[in-house]
Amino acid sequence: MRKFFPVQDLARDERFNQATNEERMSDPRGTSNTGVIRKARSTNRLTPSRPDATDAARSLMHGIMVGEIQALEGAGRTCFDFVTGEEAPFALKLDMARQCWDEARHVEISVKLSEWMGTELGQFVENTVLFAAACSQDPVLRLAGVNRALEGLAIDVFTTMKEFGELAGDPYLAFCEDWMLADEVTHVKMGSVWLRKITEDDPERRKKALEFQSVVDKIFSYGGLRSESDESPILLARRFRELAGFSDGELTEIADVSLAALNERREALEKTLASSPA
Amino acid sequence: MTVTVEPSIFKIVKYDSDEIAAVATEMLKLLGMASTNLIIEVDETIAMSRVTTTVGEPVHILVMSSAFENLKKPMTFSADNTRFSLGRGLLRVRDRQSGHFDDAPTDEDLSIVEAAVWETYSVGRLSRLGLKVHKQRWHYNFRNRHGFNDAADKDFEKIWTADDLTWKQLSEISQHAIA
Repeated sequence: MRKFFPVQDLARDERFNQATNEERMSDPRGTSNTGVIRKARSTNRLTPSRPDATDAARSLMHGIMVGEIQALEGAGRTCFDFVTGEEAPFALKLDMARQCWDEARHVEISVKLSEWMGTELGQFVENTVLFAAACSQDPVLRLAGVNRALEGLAIDVFTTMKEFGELAGDPYLAFCEDWMLADEVTHVKMGSVWLRKITEDDPERRKKALEFQSVVDKIFSYGGLRSESDESPILLARRFRELAGFSDGELTEIADVSLAALNERREALEKTLASSPA
Repeated sequence: MTVTVEPSIFKIVKYDSDEIAAVATEMLKLLGMASTNLIIEVDETIAMSRVTTTVGEPVHILVMSSAFENLKKPMTFSADNTRFSLGRGLLRVRDRQSGHFDDAPTDEDLSIVEAAVWETYSVGRLSRLGLKVHKQRWHYNFRNRHGFNDAADKDFEKIWTADDLTWKQLSEISQHAIA
């Protein structure tokens, strides 16, 4: 079986259309503005009180579903790509196998939730950046990029969706998100534990891994999708992240990076409009 | 009938104003509004699906860019989504012109509950006109605004299958669903 599977070769059926992160970032449009939108909502936070809440929640749910597929593929690759004992400890691979089990369950749950919310599978574009972060040739970087950065984002997303379900009175959404959130905390914690354990005597490797995590965090801030600002749909879930092993310093750094991504997107939109021919 | 699309040349999204005008013309005919003059203003800076209508001469429709978008390929055009978005907006215009919706708030002033109930009424009618509609999507939207229970589901069906409701009747069903 092939090792180190490239992102462009991920298998999908004809319902799905994939986009790279570069393609996604080339879209300068915002989801808020003055006038009608500003009048309709005072915050971009994804809550049922937003006029576009249902469609925004459906879109996010679809993103979760394809993200779960890629997380399953990524954890599966980590079980297989590295030589047991030499490149990755057996216990780490066992954790990744457990994660595969969780992610497969999450895919099933997300598919059912998507159908419940009225979304057809493949209705929205699939961003492949999650699996791209799982293609590193160093298992420690994968743990930093996927388990800490991406699964960390999943904590934020599931917390927001769980609250959305509670506020809307949707019993299935609130219940399912709560259960998946519990798994995500475990996945992040696995990443935190293995990162510290493997790089215990290798500060340079740890530094590289944390830098990689920071880069992935910025990419996955989705141009301001997640931050502590009301302008972001997803709120940084500090409490659950603490439970997953993030320190106060790390949380502050992620909050800063997310806010910077939000500002960059805002500036990009302004530039595009200013430079476009009349 | 005249249909004007603004802007005539798009800078951010890959839309063609002539293509949009052609779909709008088709929808005006389908909805029996062939004598309506229309200005469609597309805000291409916003990736949302909101459609706001203002009845007048001509009728004005303000559209956020995702309302016409192929969501599988962002920033590209979808005739199906355009048909569907314009259909919902134009049905609201037709309802307002009927005289049975004179007490309805303007599009900008509709509450999220009022918007949901009117969308249900519009999309149900569009489905019977042959447009491809995913009913569960609108049912979920209705539940989000009226509650996740059997009584609200029954009221959803009542609105979905109706063709000749007034604003007063729509509002009463909506209030019953929430109660």
